[in-house]
Amino acid sequence: MFRNFGRSPVRVLIASNHALFRHGLVSLFKKRLGVRVEIVGEVTNLESAVAALEERNVDLVIVDYDDEQLNREDFLAHFVSGGGQKRVILLSLSNPESAMLYDRREVPLSQLEAWFEGWRESDTQSTSPSVERAGEKIQTRSNRMKHLIVASILVIVLTVLIVLGAGQVRLLPVAASAQAQPIDSLFRLMFLAIAFLFSLIVVFMLYSIVVFRRRKGDETDARHIEGNNTLEVTWTAIPLVVVLGLSFLGAQSLAQVERPDPKPLEVDVIGLQWTWRFEYPRYGIVSNELVLPVNKQAILYLSSQDVIHSFWVPEFRVKQDLLPGGEEFVRTLRITPTQIGSYKVRCAELCGIRHAYMESPVIVVSQADFDVWVAQQTGEPTDPVERGRKWANQYGCLSCHSLDGSKLVGPTWLGLFGSEVKLADGRTVIADEVLYYRVNSQSRCCHCRGLPEHHAGFVRPRPER
Amino acid sequence: MKERVGVFEIGLVRGLIGMVLGVLIGLGLVSAIRALLGLPVWHAEAAWVVGGLFGTIGFMLAIGVMRDWIKWALGEETPDFPEADPRFQGWAKYLSVSYDHKVIGIQYGVTSLIVICIAGLFALIFRTELIAPGIQFLQPQDYNTIMTLHGIVMIGGMLLGVGAMSNYLVPLLIGANDMAFPRLNAFSFWINVPAVILLLGTLFMGGLETGWTGYPPLSARAPLGTQWFLLGVYFIGFSSIFGALNIIATVMKLRARGMTYFRMPIFVWTAAATALIALTATQLIGLSFQLVMFERLFGMAFFEPAKGGNPILFQHLFWFYSHPAVYVFVLTGLGVISELLPVFARKPLFGYRWVALSSFGIALVGFFVWAHHMFTSGMEPYLRVPFMYSTLLVAVPTGVKFFSWVATIWEGKLSFETPMLFVLGAISIFLLGGLSGPPNGVVATDLHLQDTYWIVGHFHATMFGGFLFPFLAAIYYWFPKMTGRMYNETLGKIHFYLMLPAFYVQSLGQLQVGLLGMRRRIADYDPALQIEFTHLLITVAGYVIALSLLIALINFAYSAVRGKVVTENVWRSRSPEWTLLPSPIPAHNYPTPIEVVGEPYDYGLAGAVYARTASAVPTRKEGEAALPSDAAAAPAD
Repeated sequence: MFRNFGRSPVRVLIASNHALFRHGLVSLFKKRLGVRVEIVGEVTNLESAVAALEERNVDLVIVDYDDEQLNREDFLAHFVSGGGQKRVILLSLSNPESAMLYDRREVPLSQLEAWFEGWRESDTQSTSPSVERAGEKIQTRSNRMKHLIVASILVIVLTVLIVLGAGQVRLLPVAASAQAQPIDSLFRLMFLAIAFLFSLIVVFMLYSIVVFRRRKGDETDARHIEGNNTLEVTWTAIPLVVVLGLSFLGAQSLAQVERPDPKPLEVDVIGLQWTWRFEYPRYGIVSNELVLPVNKQAILYLSSQDVIHSFWVPEFRVKQDLLPGGEEFVRTLRITPTQIGSYKVRCAELCGIRHAYMESPVIVVSQADFDVWVAQQTGEPTDPVERGRKWANQYGCLSCHSLDGSKLVGPTWLGLFGSEVKLADGRTVIADEVLYYRVNSQSRCCHCRGLPEHHAGFVRPRPER
Repeated sequence: MKERVGVFEIGLVRGLIGMVLGVLIGLGLVSAIRALLGLPVWHAEAAWVVGGLFGTIGFMLAIGVMRDWIKWALGEETPDFPEADPRFQGWAKYLSVSYDHKVIGIQYGVTSLIVICIAGLFALIFRTELIAPGIQFLQPQDYNTIMTLHGIVMIGGMLLGVGAMSNYLVPLLIGANDMAFPRLNAFSFWINVPAVILLLGTLFMGGLETGWTGYPPLSARAPLGTQWFLLGVYFIGFSSIFGALNIIATVMKLRARGMTYFRMPIFVWTAAATALIALTATQLIGLSFQLVMFERLFGMAFFEPAKGGNPILFQHLFWFYSHPAVYVFVLTGLGVISELLPVFARKPLFGYRWVALSSFGIALVGFFVWAHHMFTSGMEPYLRVPFMYSTLLVAVPTGVKFFSWVATIWEGKLSFETPMLFVLGAISIFLLGGLSGPPNGVVATDLHLQDTYWIVGHFHATMFGGFLFPFLAAIYYWFPKMTGRMYNETLGKIHFYLMLPAFYVQSLGQLQVGLLGMRRRIADYDPALQIEFTHLLITVAGYVIALSLLIALINFAYSAVRGKVVTENVWRSRSPEWTLLPSPIPAHNYPTPIEVVGEPYDYGLAGAVYARTASAVPTRKEGEAALPSDAAAAPAD
């Protein structure tokens, strides 16, 4: 940075309008710092300073901080960010013990000497002719470029490896709906971006860890680099554009997911702790499994009878919460199944004790099979046992009451009829038709908050014996 | 001569007794009023809520943290600067009220570690349950309780950890002798203790079943334990708000001479940004939980649609805090990363101003993104796209941090002591957390990911990378400062090399099963998903993480007593707490005021000084007056 420095004297330029300041400095320099100093000029304004600089090969500029005729900021801006970097010191007579350095640090005089010495040493070490130094400089620069290039290549290598590796792992379930297509293509784009960005940061980190480790016994600091505004602006602006672009794609994708088809199949989906009920108003069917014809859009009207649930078939990708509260809170979800098969709707919003088991079959069939199913469902069985079995299924009774004696939330129905049951208020009664009727119409026996409303929503199923 | 301190003089003991008495008084009071009104005497909900409230007040009164305020109310004199009882030394000092920010910081830190370990144990319990499909040993109700407690207790633990770092470090880093309001500081810490007791008490009150989010209407009908859960979170909120107020006042008023905002250590920037969020957003979670509490107690129907309420309203109120809250945990951790990197890279923090302002950028944008938690909730559909845009904008200031960190270590002279390992690990994990974010932030893909294990993986990565790893880095780094002794480096490294890979296994496993269809918060999963093996891996990784933390705790405990004595500036840091103060630091920190004369991270610049004792220099108009202008072009490199 400082040519012809080292054993040759420091070439100093003093800028001040005060003769006393200039003369004082000259003598001070010789006396206190003990450095061989050559005062190459004394100037009183920026223009003459610049002129002097060009003519006289200056190492150090000392500026009178108290001199208001000098524009200090111009000085700093010119010498620091201008073409030729010089060491600039601002001295003030009103504070004789410290000085301002070119980078606006304030240092006490003792440290000024240390700073000065450090500067001298670093330059004495490299007393080699300027040609050789220039060569070194080029080499460090090419070294730096080399590091950057190698790391960049590694970023690409790691990205490819991650993408290849991820290809070997199961990441998404089968895509079984038209809505899954735009979502999955967005997923693929994002996975690619994630692989690249992860590699970008991690490779540069690992490379630094390996290459820029501190050698044993090296107590010195690294190069003093404070930052680079161009870089900062770049890595603010590029991500900004990227995220805006991603949001735009996301919005487009969402529009595709929500695109309505004319005349969709309407299904009311009712969630309740901890089961699903599906009603087909057009056919008058109530079912405990969701049967959908393939390649025909279904519009689901989602509502809950108690707490919040969430409708999610992973293979369909889309998800929507079910809210309690009646018509105002009914939400819709459009699904166009594209693959015949059996799936499951899984409640995705924590809804209480048996939340994990709030799953029901979702069956996608051909239009012909769907028509057969509709015909089967619309007939009502005449046998009361059959009817009871059907209702118990349809209305989700079996999510709380077992038939085989195992304990769920409600009492098991095995051997329940005619037995003694203890009610929440301590009374013991016989479980007969009267109790069954009461339970189903005004339920009081339950130990679980919220269950009265729960049962009240049911018609009165007749449990099998 | 040191007097012996009796057991019943120790603050914590008194506090606990006060709490028990308070609870009993509360129970009695409610029952008495009901008896007078001719109602059935016992009403569990009302009795336990009032009991919890009185218990907390009893704790705070008995421990004596409000003593001076009461004296002021009575017009009595108190010393200008509150002093703890000098007879309390050693353990007794940490178990009683102290007004020294360093003692409070360590109290926060130790409590945080204890609470985090309890919450971690909850996680181990239900991770063991999830090792295979079917019910192993944990019934769904208990599963829900343990899972909910894991979440909320961990959040409490993280808030305590944030408090630990900002309380211990901010005054030291800005050259202050204490926080602006020492009494408020002690209050902010101690209220956490009864709050955590309330949270854990829910275990014995019928448990919980809502998850830490406590969505009504489920939370309005969930078991009794929910009330103490709501109450506990409410009190932790007090701690956050008061603590934040204190940090802001401290940073604004108590900086050393010459420390302009752009000369503050970077951690102070993040602590200030964090405090700003905590001060302005915490009210909203307090409010939403209070409304649920009232809904349960008085039948008010804020969120019950059957009575005209709206369940979505709760979610807006809740997430308006709970999203920024994530940045409360994370920003502090990111501050630690930015603070330590230059020390171990021996290079200035790259783009100091950009990193400093990016914290405020994150804090600001963080206020406008809450509804991305609600894309599938059934809120107004037109809100989704704007919230997607605002959410993804968070990536911009976060990206600035990542790039600046990498540029800081690039061409540095790195060394790899334990704190640095945790800092580097934190960056890589937080990166994973950050990059798994945009798929949740984009509405279309979030329709699939919402409420799955992808979300679980995403936020555990952000919490481990943004909070836990930096917190551990900070503990290792300032351990010699706190204790005057060095931790065991070998154990520290074992801790790191166990924890980092285990975390990657856990996190990537969670992300994968989430994509494949694993829902959040389920006690049992469908074997048809074919994810048992990944679940097994996640559980094993969880145990390895627990083991590594156990090693760390042993290391901390042993080294605090037996470690090698160190007094010097172990890390050759430029920061004033290392260059100007002995270890451990005496009360009231800096015996003479200090002043700042340079930039905080001028590593590699010969002779550059950051802070020094002020008496060394005669007066002169300092700070901004000495600078030509901050607006002028910044120095080139």
